[in-house]
Amino acid sequence: MTDQTNTPNAKTVKRTTGAIALAALLAAIFITPVVVDDQFVYHIFITICIFAGLSTAWNIVGGFAGQLSLGHAIFYGIGAYVGIMLTNIGISPWIGMFAGAAIAAAVAAIISYPCFRLHGPFFALSTIALLEVFRVLALHFRDFTGGATGMMIPLNIGWEWMVFRERLPALIIAFGMMCFILAVAWWIRSHRLGFQLVATRERESAARAAGVGTVKVRLFAVAISAALTAMMGTFHGMYLTFIEPESAFSLSFSIQIAMFALIGGLGTVFGPLLGAVLLVPLTEFARGALGAEAIGLHGFVYGAVLVLVVIFVPNGLMGLVGRWFSAREATSGTQAAEVATPEETRTFTPPEPGEEIVRVRNLNKHFGGLHVTNDVSFTLREGEILGLIGPNGAGKTTLFNMISGFLEADSGTVEVKGPDGKWHSPTNPADFATLGVGRTFQIVQPFAAMTVEENIMVGAFHRYPHVDDARAAARRTAEKMGLGPYLHAEASSLTIGGLKRLEVARVMAMEPRVLLLDEVMAGINQSDVRRAIDLMLSIRDEGVSIIAIEHVMQAVMSLSDHVIVLSSGEVIAEGKPRTVVEDPQVIEAYLGKEFTHA
Amino acid sequence: MDVFLQVVVNGLLLGGLFAITSVGLTLIFGIVKVVNFAHGEFLMIGMYATFLISTKLGLHPYAAVAAVVPLLFVLGMLTQKLLIEPLMSARNHDIQIFATVGLSTALINLALLLFGADIATTPAYGLRTAIEIGPIRMLVGQIVMFGVATALVIGLHFFLQRTRSGRGIRAVAQNRAAAQLMGINVSRVYMITFGLGAACVGLAACLVAPLYPTSPGIGTYFVLTAFVVVVLGGLGSIGGAFLGAMIIGLIDSLSGFYIGSDMREVAVFGVFLLILILRPQGLFGGRLKLSHVS
Repeated sequence: MTDQTNTPNAKTVKRTTGAIALAALLAAIFITPVVVDDQFVYHIFITICIFAGLSTAWNIVGGFAGQLSLGHAIFYGIGAYVGIMLTNIGISPWIGMFAGAAIAAAVAAIISYPCFRLHGPFFALSTIALLEVFRVLALHFRDFTGGATGMMIPLNIGWEWMVFRERLPALIIAFGMMCFILAVAWWIRSHRLGFQLVATRERESAARAAGVGTVKVRLFAVAISAALTAMMGTFHGMYLTFIEPESAFSLSFSIQIAMFALIGGLGTVFGPLLGAVLLVPLTEFARGALGAEAIGLHGFVYGAVLVLVVIFVPNGLMGLVGRWFSAREATSGTQAAEVATPEETRTFTPPEPGEEIVRVRNLNKHFGGLHVTNDVSFTLREGEILGLIGPNGAGKTTLFNMISGFLEADSGTVEVKGPDGKWHSPTNPADFATLGVGRTFQIVQPFAAMTVEENIMVGAFHRYPHVDDARAAARRTAEKMGLGPYLHAEASSLTIGGLKRLEVARVMAMEPRVLLLDEVMAGINQSDVRRAIDLMLSIRDEGVSIIAIEHVMQAVMSLSDHVIVLSSGEVIAEGKPRTVVEDPQVIEAYLGKEFTHA
Repeated sequence: MDVFLQVVVNGLLLGGLFAITSVGLTLIFGIVKVVNFAHGEFLMIGMYATFLISTKLGLHPYAAVAAVVPLLFVLGMLTQKLLIEPLMSARNHDIQIFATVGLSTALINLALLLFGADIATTPAYGLRTAIEIGPIRMLVGQIVMFGVATALVIGLHFFLQRTRSGRGIRAVAQNRAAAQLMGINVSRVYMITFGLGAACVGLAACLVAPLYPTSPGIGTYFVLTAFVVVVLGGLGSIGGAFLGAMIIGLIDSLSGFYIGSDMREVAVFGVFLLILILRPQGLFGGRLKLSHVS
């Protein structure tokens, strides 16, 4: 129990140290140029703020959502062009900034939508392609963009035009925008959207099962990222006083933005800031010192650094910092695995069959020539535990996929009674989740980069949009599942039994009305099976209806109110557990013909 | 009519160019499952090598094949061994994209350092001479390239389908662990595949160099189209890449003539986005899994 109090304490200490370090870093970025008061130093620190802002914005989609954009200059360029075009017709860049942000967000959503439905490198490829298109368009439409010669800003000086003789006001704006973008990134990462983004990145199907609209949250992320990038673009355009297509829509610029985030730490809130703080001065000095003599040298160094970082420090500087911290607090020992054992072994009481809650009618599914489910129909009643058994390859998991929205049936219907008492026919995982159908996966799907608590929170967010409520619900669920001691452990450090419990916990946190359990007892030891049985009974007592695929006969017999036997895609028997196991057809399907007479 | 015919022929010949530059990319993606963002820079290296061999040694650019193809093969193998293999087990596969992007950036700038930003022109040896068949004009070099591209695609197809090594390569692509258990040296197969993909683009470089000026940025110019071709044909499909190259060649040529030469890219990349929306598995790839449920 001591660990439980110890871990959050260490966490608070870590958080305070982190906050102090961050405040010191931000103060240094602002104060250093003011004190030194040198044009070149001002320029370097303004550039740091700009790149830190851009990389942080990139990281919302590239890091949190795990969708690598290699064409983020599209949004930067849109911001710069829209801002300057509007300034030329007398509209302040403070307004133009938002116009550019809106356009960039719309463009981002449109190009991302097709890519986010796919797995693979499509997003990276299409962002590169689109960057090229924008560059060509900017060159082509000379009347609007000035073509290859580019555009100058009108020389109106003052705050409303973002143009100044001195450097200080520019620093104030750049610094302010950077802090704003950092705040947005921090907010996202510590609220529901951030959890859902990381969950989607780590395990898309598990996230969908937890009711996350995976495409929707990614679209949010890319739109926010693009808008912030465009706003920074507007400012940078005004700061440079001149833009042209080659530099505004530049591939190497896009790569640079991504690179600072990678070097700082992909998917961390403050990594991109760290990356920019370290690398921008290096580049600017190198550019100043080497000048035109060694054209390509700094690009070569960039590329080489990127390769080396990827190979040797893939978690970036924040990863190094984190390792340093955890080395210091290595005093806290391994966490004891004491699970709250139930008071007594429960005796089985036959329940009252309730109203129908799930109706499956005549489901058919073909995979090529294979008839995986053949005219399967059954009904689940409220408060019932329905055992689904059958030999390997009988089509049990396929059936599960169809009654949780992951696969579409060729024919037949799945109906779920909603909380409103009406029958619904959901078609995708999100709809099923909304109706209160939760599922686990046969092969466990933890969000590896998250702690146990955060894993369960992803499920809890389905009912509790607010982060504190979700955390409280996740803790309650974790205690119930015997995961309490592991709350702050990385999910990937759990044993297989622990992962199975985490799988159930994540679904339970969704507070489902119908629970689909896919072999939660396979591969765990006898005492864990005993515990799992008690767990399922207590879940049922809370009023949850359960369909369980299970091979562990002991469990099936003692748990199920009703058993369905599936073989080669067909229901070959159903009824009370006792009668079903004595059915000769069932014995034949499981063990072969010769055993039917045994 | 003659003009239209000429534009179509130009498109197909351009398709030959796209095919020969894309086939290595799709091979590497199909087997190693890595998008090699440095593919264009491999082409650039091959073109500079061809340029150096033909100017310094006074050889025909096609003779450079004997040196450039092995050079690129080794470069590909090294890339796989030193850069991709250490990242194969990485939890985050996107990190491989960064690795090849970094390699690409480093190579472009290395070329800038060594050769400067000026273009290098490889001697043409008559390859830029036009021959006329009826009303149609074609460059000798383009015809050769089309022929070689076709032969390369057919050859690779037979290699993968019919030979023992080819079967090993395909087995690795389908299930890495199972192939390993069957006694296939997976690490070697990946190296050979990456080497082969790079060798293909080396061959392309020798044929492209006499026709196009070489510059540090030339790779980016070609590789963007190669990405479109490879996605259109279905990532990993070699036959698909060939047909995709022909289609993109035609679109490029027709839009360049009828819409405006500076808008070709917009047409090509417009098609690319349409494919992603309508048929992301590509025209000829059917195996791409769009959803994964275990």
